[in-house]
Amino acid sequence: MSTVLRTDPPATTAPATPRSSALRRPLLLVAGAGALVLCAALSLALGSRSIPLSTVADALTGAAHGGDADVVTGLRVPRTVIGLAVGAALGVAGAVAQGVTRNPLASPVTLGVNAGASLAVVAAIYALDLGRPVQYVWFAFAGAAVAAVAAYAMSRRGGDLDPVRLALGGTVLTVVLTSWTSALMLASHRTLDEARFWLAGSIGGRQLDTLTPVLPFLALGLLGAFAISPALNALALGDEAAQSLGVPVARIRLAGGLAVVLLAGSAVAVAGPVAFIGLAAPHLVRPLFGNDHRWLLPGCLIAGPLLLLAADVLGRLVVRPSEIEVGIVTAFLGAPLLAVLARKVAR
Amino acid sequence: MTALAVPVGTLTRRRARTAAWSALAAALLVVLTAVALGTGQVSLSGWDALRALVGQGDPGNVLVVQQFRAPRVVSALIAGAALAMAGSMLQRLFRNPLASPDTIGVTGGASFGAVLMLATGASQQLIPLAALGGGLLAALLLGGLAWRSKMAVTRLVLVGLAVQQGLAAAVNLMIVRFPAELAASAMQWTTGSLYGRNWTEVWIGGTAIALTALAVLLCQRRVAVLDLGDDSAGGLGLNPGRDRLRLLLLGITLASLAAALTGPVAFVALAVPHLVRLLAGPPTLGTLGLTALTGAVLLLSADLLVLHVIPVHGLPVGAVTATLGAPWLLALMIRQGRPPQRST
Repeated sequence: MSTVLRTDPPATTAPATPRSSALRRPLLLVAGAGALVLCAALSLALGSRSIPLSTVADALTGAAHGGDADVVTGLRVPRTVIGLAVGAALGVAGAVAQGVTRNPLASPVTLGVNAGASLAVVAAIYALDLGRPVQYVWFAFAGAAVAAVAAYAMSRRGGDLDPVRLALGGTVLTVVLTSWTSALMLASHRTLDEARFWLAGSIGGRQLDTLTPVLPFLALGLLGAFAISPALNALALGDEAAQSLGVPVARIRLAGGLAVVLLAGSAVAVAGPVAFIGLAAPHLVRPLFGNDHRWLLPGCLIAGPLLLLAADVLGRLVVRPSEIEVGIVTAFLGAPLLAVLARKVAR
Repeated sequence: MTALAVPVGTLTRRRARTAAWSALAAALLVVLTAVALGTGQVSLSGWDALRALVGQGDPGNVLVVQQFRAPRVVSALIAGAALAMAGSMLQRLFRNPLASPDTIGVTGGASFGAVLMLATGASQQLIPLAALGGGLLAALLLGGLAWRSKMAVTRLVLVGLAVQQGLAAAVNLMIVRFPAELAASAMQWTTGSLYGRNWTEVWIGGTAIALTALAVLLCQRRVAVLDLGDDSAGGLGLNPGRDRLRLLLLGITLASLAAALTGPVAFVALAVPHLVRLLAGPPTLGTLGLTALTGAVLLLSADLLVLHVIPVHGLPVGAVTATLGAPWLLALMIRQGRPPQRST
């Protein structure tokens, strides 16, 4: 975070212009990817039992067997892969949501995605006696989609989305769905006991079969997001300017909204409601890459998983041998980050 | 907020409309109070219930109404009114239609205080105090973090969100770590409920809320000047930063007191100001009264439904307020066909 503070004054005086060569942003991307690889390696090696990196490498190539190797291949590889996928989905979804609504406070949460998924999962636990994250996937995805469609339906005006109504409608929807979720949990203590861990948001205790069902949606969402990234730049100039540049504003907003739902719905289906990655990743990337969405999106594609994996590793280390769910760690880390962002916005 | 530019005829019409809605809300309030006091295992007619409240009629009825039913009804009324007024105040000070105790940290702070108290296993009576302390802690964090920017509005919104998220994460951590039984009571508290209120709590909470609400009413002129924007407010002799901090403290205190009495009931503070704005136009002193009345009516009717109509044990009153209020608000939003609030 100290680097963010240091780049602060130049970023505010010349917000969008990259300073020196055309090489800067590709280099930054490579550096980010390197940091991500490092983080993934740490995620494989650290936890309630620390495993040397050489053993990790042996386990991955199949050269080593036994306790440590089983931990790596059986538990930590799925966890790390899920972390990468969820982080990427949330990071890109956040950038698109902020671009589409032109609101720096927007995130997938604003659309009621997390609240819808939570209600669907809690209802499923209550009514169907489910107990494992892999069984929740479709309920969460469906709940997220229905909530987002409802939020869109409320904010439609003359065939286009009204950003202010989207924010207010989404917030009201979130409050209603959240209160129903708590009502269900209070009605049955068994449901409360099962659901509270899922509701905290975690990437642990899952196998890859939790991720595979949503992978097609995730890929589709990423494709859609990258396809509209040039149009998002035009959208940032305002609706009328974008229109006069020949950008079909309403259609772009719809496509962007769809991409956000696919990405955030997949993420919440796999990991439960994880806050803040979607909000924070674009804000962290913007000072480095500028406001060009063609660079912002790849930046978020790396920054999202980087944040998520770092938070997850941190959550495993602070209370060893127990662990803190990644959703709680991101919320804790996100709060001061948001306060720092506020300092910049207010200038 | 553009009241100065509005022709006089519109103003008179608005005033008449506000008065009509207020009269309707007040009548509804009396009817609902009578029904709430008269319904239960011992059934009374509304008139008998109101008589029993002032100590007349059958001594058994007087006991039931005064000792068992009235504290709950009165706390619903004052908490609903306080939440609605606080929400209206916060939305104007933050110049943001989404500002409410849930988005600026009061809910997180109050829940944090109360759940921490539950975790230490201290006496139940201390929980309201802890909730109040938590709410004020949130105010302190908010003021401390935003003070250097002279309480600029954009900064306040973000800092409020940060405070809320941080405190909510702490609450969440405790709920996940608690044993199942304790997690359930923590959950119960954080969704708000009116069970087991007694006169001591109602008197203390009610007096504090009444005093704070009076201060809010007296400060309305200042809020209206701040609505004009920081530059104009400065030109009119206000110190925008300092005055916003003071008013904000008032609003947060009001919301925290309500949270201490009933727990952080969702939705009232967010939605009632919008409802009133859609019904009666931009905020004035008169609509503030209507806001308080509407909040009280909403919370009391939700509590009536929880107690006597919906046969689910332990249903949080916040769930019913949201379910009752949301369709109403959305219908008004759709009819309006434009965003209900762009204050500045």
